[in-house]
Amino acid sequence: MASELAGLLADLKEKEAMDLVGNKLEQGTDPMEILGDAREGMKIVGERFGSGDYFIPDLIYSGEILKEIAKLIEPHIKHKETGSRKLGKVVIGTVAGDIHDIGKDLVVLMLDINGFEVYDLGVDVPVHNFVDKIRETGAPVVGLSGFLTLAFDAMKETIDAIKTAGLGDDIKIMIGGGQIDDEVRRYTGADAFGKDAIEAVALATNWISKA
Amino acid sequence: MIIIGEKINGTRKAVAQAIRERDETFIRDLARNQTDAGSAFLDVNAGTAPEREPEDMAWLVGTIQEECGIPLCLDSANPSALRAGLEIVKNPPMINSVSGEKPRIEKVLPLALEYGTNLILLALDETGIPNTSDGRMKIVDRLVRLAMDGGLKEEKLYIDPLVTAISTGTDSALITLDTIRRISSTYPKCHITSGLSNISFGMPLRHMINRTFMAMAIQAGLDSAIADPGDRQLYEVIMAAEMLMGRDKYCQGFSRAYRAGRIG
Repeated sequence: MASELAGLLADLKEKEAMDLVGNKLEQGTDPMEILGDAREGMKIVGERFGSGDYFIPDLIYSGEILKEIAKLIEPHIKHKETGSRKLGKVVIGTVAGDIHDIGKDLVVLMLDINGFEVYDLGVDVPVHNFVDKIRETGAPVVGLSGFLTLAFDAMKETIDAIKTAGLGDDIKIMIGGGQIDDEVRRYTGADAFGKDAIEAVALATNWISKA
Repeated sequence: MIIIGEKINGTRKAVAQAIRERDETFIRDLARNQTDAGSAFLDVNAGTAPEREPEDMAWLVGTIQEECGIPLCLDSANPSALRAGLEIVKNPPMINSVSGEKPRIEKVLPLALEYGTNLILLALDETGIPNTSDGRMKIVDRLVRLAMDGGLKEEKLYIDPLVTAISTGTDSALITLDTIRRISSTYPKCHITSGLSNISFGMPLRHMINRTFMAMAIQAGLDSAIADPGDRQLYEVIMAAEMLMGRDKYCQGFSRAYRAGRIG
């Protein structure tokens, strides 16, 4: 049985959800408990998206509501706790030659609200930018996005470069966007592919929990 | 989109019969269905002879109000019928309508001012419907000034640019669309409403023409319509057009209507 806040967030009832969070904070409820309820609501949103009941704007809207909730809660959380809240680092971007950003931005949003520290390199990202950022951050997970078929080659080049740089053993690479399937995954040398932002979160969560 | 449900109109045969026979169930069903389908107001037109109309209007208003609490749009040229409705109406109503015609300005406008109602203003006068947007704007300017001088706020005014048939005038739609744009920029706080379905008079595929025109009119600035919200395909076009015009945050209106099975 979902909590009241989870239910309101899952139904995208922004005002009611915000009012409830305000009341809970006033009554001294543990902010982490509120955040946990909100995560539970996001999980339901993800399930509804997966089953075709929710659409992309619903996903974005739920993310915006969660951000608002986080903003309300933040002053009530001790700094140490927010720091330890991050699950792990993910470097992500749309590969060179491709400028599509909708899917990539959704993955960034969903990773962010699920507690990952996301480094978004943007679109049309040169191969060496990925390599540099992975080195700099030590991120164990990388996401490559691309909508065009020509992105497949750029993905392969990027993954080759990551491996040539000697980073390949320690990190996991996921790809996604457009027509990507397991054949493309094999061609590019990626560890996994995801069909949508929900799958990207599942992949990253799984890898980081094992790391 | 502020939909004014059009179906309780005594000029329709079945409704006329229900009024004659005091068939409460029929009227209550019409009211309930249009309310559930998304109307913001229900148009109420007794459409009967002047000597009967006040009594019929009062019966309609009373019957509808027993069924639902939706605001009503009292539709008559007869001041006695309008007053009969105004005296018993519970929610802030709308009056349909005042035009540039003398009897309407002298007899109907004062009622709207007295009761502080929402008010539909028609872009026509004694000479008929002007066939240019200039001509229609001239009437609109005059009526808006009269209403505002009388104390009605712009938000209470619903300006109808009027629609003539495309079958008899190649530029019919263009004149209406141009008038909508001009009203929208001159009176940004006023609402713009219309029946629209006149556009397809005398043509085949009327509903399809009406839907297409609806989308174009919404793009031009229409934010209200006198329509049948139970017309599913029309409702779909309204929802999509409103969303595309940036009036539907996170597409929630559209998505929710879809999930509720109202569209699609």
